[in-house]
Amino acid sequence: MAEFIEIKNLHFSYGKEESKQQDDVLCGVDLTVRKGEYVAILGRNGSGKSTLAKLLNLVIDDLENASGEILVDGVNILSDDMTEDMAFELRKKVGMVFQNPDNQLVATVVEEDVAFGPENLGLDPKEIRRRVDEALDTVGMSEFAKREPHRLSGGQKQRVAIAGVIAMMPDCIIFDESTAMLDPVGRKDIVATMEKLNREHGITVLTITHYMEEAVRADRVVVLNHGKIAIEGTPEQVFSDAGALRAAGLELPQCAQLIEELIKSGMSIKECGITPEDCARIILLAGGATCQ
Amino acid sequence: MSIKLELQNVTYYYGKGTAFEVKALDNVSFAVKERSITGLIGHTGSGKSTLAQLFNGLEKPTEGKVLLDGADIWDKKYKGGRLCFRVGLVMQYPEYQLFEETVFNDIAFGPRNKGMSEDEVKQLVMDAVSFVGMTPEILEQSPFDLSGGQKRRVAIAGIMAMQPEVLVLDEPAAGLDPAGRADIFAGIKRYRDTTGASVIIISHSMEDMAEYCDDVIVMHKGKVMLTGPKDSVFADSDKLVAAGLDIPQITRVMRLLKENGLDVDASVCTKDQAVAELIRAFKLK
Amino acid sequence: MKNIALGQYYPARSPLHRMDPRIKLIIAVLYIVAAFLCKNLLGFALLAASVVLLVILSRVPLKTVLGSLKMVVFILVLTVAINIFLTKEEGAEPLWSFWIFEVYTKGLYSALFIALRILSMIIGTCMLLTYTTTPIALTDALERLLSPLRHLKLPVHEFSMMMSIALRFIPTIMEEAEKIMAAQKARGAGFTEGNLIKRIKSLIPILIPLFASVFRRAFELATAMTCRCYRGGDGRTRMTTMRMHAMDIIVLIVSVAALAGIVSCNYWNIGYTL
Repeated sequence: MAEFIEIKNLHFSYGKEESKQQDDVLCGVDLTVRKGEYVAILGRNGSGKSTLAKLLNLVIDDLENASGEILVDGVNILSDDMTEDMAFELRKKVGMVFQNPDNQLVATVVEEDVAFGPENLGLDPKEIRRRVDEALDTVGMSEFAKREPHRLSGGQKQRVAIAGVIAMMPDCIIFDESTAMLDPVGRKDIVATMEKLNREHGITVLTITHYMEEAVRADRVVVLNHGKIAIEGTPEQVFSDAGALRAAGLELPQCAQLIEELIKSGMSIKECGITPEDCARIILLAGGATCQ
Repeated sequence: MSIKLELQNVTYYYGKGTAFEVKALDNVSFAVKERSITGLIGHTGSGKSTLAQLFNGLEKPTEGKVLLDGADIWDKKYKGGRLCFRVGLVMQYPEYQLFEETVFNDIAFGPRNKGMSEDEVKQLVMDAVSFVGMTPEILEQSPFDLSGGQKRRVAIAGIMAMQPEVLVLDEPAAGLDPAGRADIFAGIKRYRDTTGASVIIISHSMEDMAEYCDDVIVMHKGKVMLTGPKDSVFADSDKLVAAGLDIPQITRVMRLLKENGLDVDASVCTKDQAVAELIRAFKLK
Repeated sequence: MKNIALGQYYPARSPLHRMDPRIKLIIAVLYIVAAFLCKNLLGFALLAASVVLLVILSRVPLKTVLGSLKMVVFILVLTVAINIFLTKEEGAEPLWSFWIFEVYTKGLYSALFIALRILSMIIGTCMLLTYTTTPIALTDALERLLSPLRHLKLPVHEFSMMMSIALRFIPTIMEEAEKIMAAQKARGAGFTEGNLIKRIKSLIPILIPLFASVFRRAFELATAMTCRCYRGGDGRTRMTTMRMHAMDIIVLIVSVAALAGIVSCNYWNIGYTL
């Protein structure tokens, strides 16, 4: 698979040059995301994860404070030659879904909102119609096409926001804490939608969150702490390193914590279980071995 | 333990008499014990948030009674004083209600409305700040300069400073990272332990409920589905699953183990209980 | 609060609902002009007939239509009374007199005409616009009708974008205001006690968080719009194209004819003329 996003030695801080404090928000991030990959970026509040997301779409204050390189599809978006038109092209390729579903819906009718992006791209009305219908179908919101967004639940609003991004047919979608304000039902819906977009539509997904459970299905997990990458690997690798996770201000999923405790109590377990199903299977296996 | 707050056959309609009439609560009865931490669980739209506003008298039940220390709060002869000072309500995302120039003044808003003297106000603010685990240095800062988790704690302190006998919190940890969540729940526990108040926590998170609550009330479609000590409620996990509600992850693991023939108590809902139960089952050590 | 209705849009499938909102806007303007130009009984008869026709075409129940008139009853009664009692007719016998009041035939007619004028203007424009057209379709139609003004450097698109964002966020912000109010009430804030200054002061705990929230929303929305490739009206297309159907053209022609009819009534002096 080809590299889609390549971040090299990225530094960033907010504020003016003269008043610049020592605490950089991002200090030397190196990260590569391949086309079609599903990557979860985990980190506590203030770890710099949202800043990273906003930089990838060039929607951040004090952009001039960024140093290093961010290559998106081969173009260095931090270079001085970056024009408004190039930024427009970037945003066509990399879509974003934010935290508060209310603050990203523009129109008073669901389908009009989904059409907003394609309309900005200057597409033919018929093509917009086709994309809107398809996008609403993908997120399972077709029956709500004519509804008013403010009457929908949080999860439904967020699915409309996702449809609005899909309708622009981006190569990559960044979810910037898109589940943080939702209830468990809404959260599951959105995580399932992310997975579907990645597996069935081949869209590169970058999800930024502090909910461990949402990182379980990702191809790769990157843990950010104090503006640096603290841990990187498959979900199994990352979640079996409890010490490093806690040092980064995060906590293991409950099932993994249970296994950790059982190991301390003398059970011989080598695997790491994150979902209840895995966890139960591992315990039964290890229990059998211990009882023999 | 005696009963602090009680709901008797409460029914509540939104927009009664209009085209949009919705029955949010249907014949709801339950009791909250003195000094207990009670969890109120349910899906969005199950009536949980409506209950929060009934507890402190912001809303009046269409039918039924709300009793505080046995007295009907909507009775004409009720003499218990202003309800908002006795039943403190922390609404969802309370950080959005901060408005004063300093953290001190914001936390002092409630006590001042209660008519306390400035000396008393100062003491109450100091107490509240220590409940939520913050240091007095923060008091002179602007609440708008704080981080999300800090703002949340200041907002909760603003309610705690009124020293309510019942503290109701609607999704107090929503959107916070693990450290932020732990801070909030530690603060709630500290408040209960110090003041002896009853606490009601409304939440979606079964794991948090299992971890921090003594009693649990499960709401489903405007009705009480289950109520009682948390172990007995989670022992009824079949009922929860049937209603499409989550159960704590630990309980799920234990249920799966039991289904696979391991002799364990499937009502266990916290990690420590589960470890003890498994050590027993596997006869470790 | 989630159910507040913006305007008085009445969802139904009627010929009027299906019409191109641009044509409806134009006809509404013609209609107001007609109501003002009416001078005699025949003209008003035509005007009244067209109101009845509009109500029938819109399929909005009569009860709803009359209900919406409640707000103007006071103005109506006042203007009618003023016209009846204060119109003097030189050289004519008063029909009825009491104390300083004298009622003349002319006064009765002018009261009738003014009542018809107000009623038909309100019902007519409501039927054409608020009842059968969503606010968003209206802003849209306005943008498209005024789009030639773009060339004069008037920010037609920006204005319409502002209008539609406002429409989108009014319910959200109303809900938020309610929440903040409940939250401050829970902290013992009172909003109805004390003198005026005290009451205005008591609004501060609501207004500051509300403004903070509105600004936060505005920033987040602007960022989200940028991410969705928004860069103003240039190069932007629309999903829904407004198309005029044969029906629209017919209605437009009929309306222009009716206007011409009403105006020409003025010359033929049929019926009582003011």
